[in-house]
Amino acid sequence: MPTELSDRLQASDAALTARVACGEAVALAPLYQRHRGPIYRFALLWSGSAAVAADVTQDVFVHLLTKATDYDPARGPLQPWLLGITRNFVHRRTGADARYVANDEDTEPPAPALDAPTPESALAMQRDVARLRAAIAALPPHYRDVLVLVELAERSYAEAAAICGCELNTVRSRLSRARGLLARWLDAAPQRANTAKG
Amino acid sequence: MDAPADLDRQLAALKGVVADAMPPPATDQAIDAAIKRAQRKSGSSRRASRNGERWLAWPLALAASIAVLSLIVRSLPPEAVMAEPAAPFARTAGDEFMALVPLADLQSASDAMVVSARLPRMTLAQLGLPVNPARAADAIDTELLVRRDGSVLAVRFVY
Repeated sequence: MPTELSDRLQASDAALTARVACGEAVALAPLYQRHRGPIYRFALLWSGSAAVAADVTQDVFVHLLTKATDYDPARGPLQPWLLGITRNFVHRRTGADARYVANDEDTEPPAPALDAPTPESALAMQRDVARLRAAIAALPPHYRDVLVLVELAERSYAEAAAICGCELNTVRSRLSRARGLLARWLDAAPQRANTAKG
Repeated sequence: MDAPADLDRQLAALKGVVADAMPPPATDQAIDAAIKRAQRKSGSSRRASRNGERWLAWPLALAASIAVLSLIVRSLPPEAVMAEPAAPFARTAGDEFMALVPLADLQSASDAMVVSARLPRMTLAQLGLPVNPARAADAIDTELLVRRDGSVLAVRFVY
């Protein structure tokens, strides 16, 4: 039953996109309402900036308005296609595509400067999140892609592979390396802070 | 400290923080404005296309009428038909046209024009008029009230 519902929603996305492609701009409104959240959150988690995420979200839906004919429903649902466009735009906005060339064998990037967590639990949670965001922002873009998609946007490995245009095994290895880097950085941060205090 | 578990906990916390994050109202308004702009653009191009069709309508109708009239005339025996300029009223036997269509159609035909034609008398039979069989081969001068679409609305005879 959920599959049937999902199929209907998918068909509806395809129908709305087809109407946009035929010049019926008003059909974009329900698509925007339906997909703006995941698109914005992906851009926000990826860039760490609400302003960049807002700009990228706008770019993605204006792109859909003008290039709806590029979407082929036979190749999959609309949202992963939109996430792929979001990824391209957020790379471009942050200059990530110019600064980095995806290389899974590259050397470990320098650890970001992360504050040590505070003992108070509520504040510590906020500080943890801020530290994690800073650490994610320091990941190379191709690691950040898979980490945000799989761990935070809850996309499957296959969807992440399709969105990033890489093999399933590449997604697995990039995710593993991304998690490894984050764990090391977050674990090392308190020690660095203690060392600095000492 | 269990680093992977700690990482998972922090990832879950980050996910919770952004779970309800939505684009700001400014983005909603920008998308709304983009939709309206695209609609206006699409509407104006459709209007331009419709206007273009309207400009084309009259020349096309005229061309079609001429073609239909030409077909009617050509379907008649060539020796019997000789179109000529509309005759002056002085030459007509009577000022009244005989309607070949319902009067309502005739009254609504504001685009009709008069065309002179020499027709064989047998054509009169096709129009539902009496014909003397002895003179069936003779030609007769007529004026036809013809619509732009080529349909003949009325006829009058010229002596």
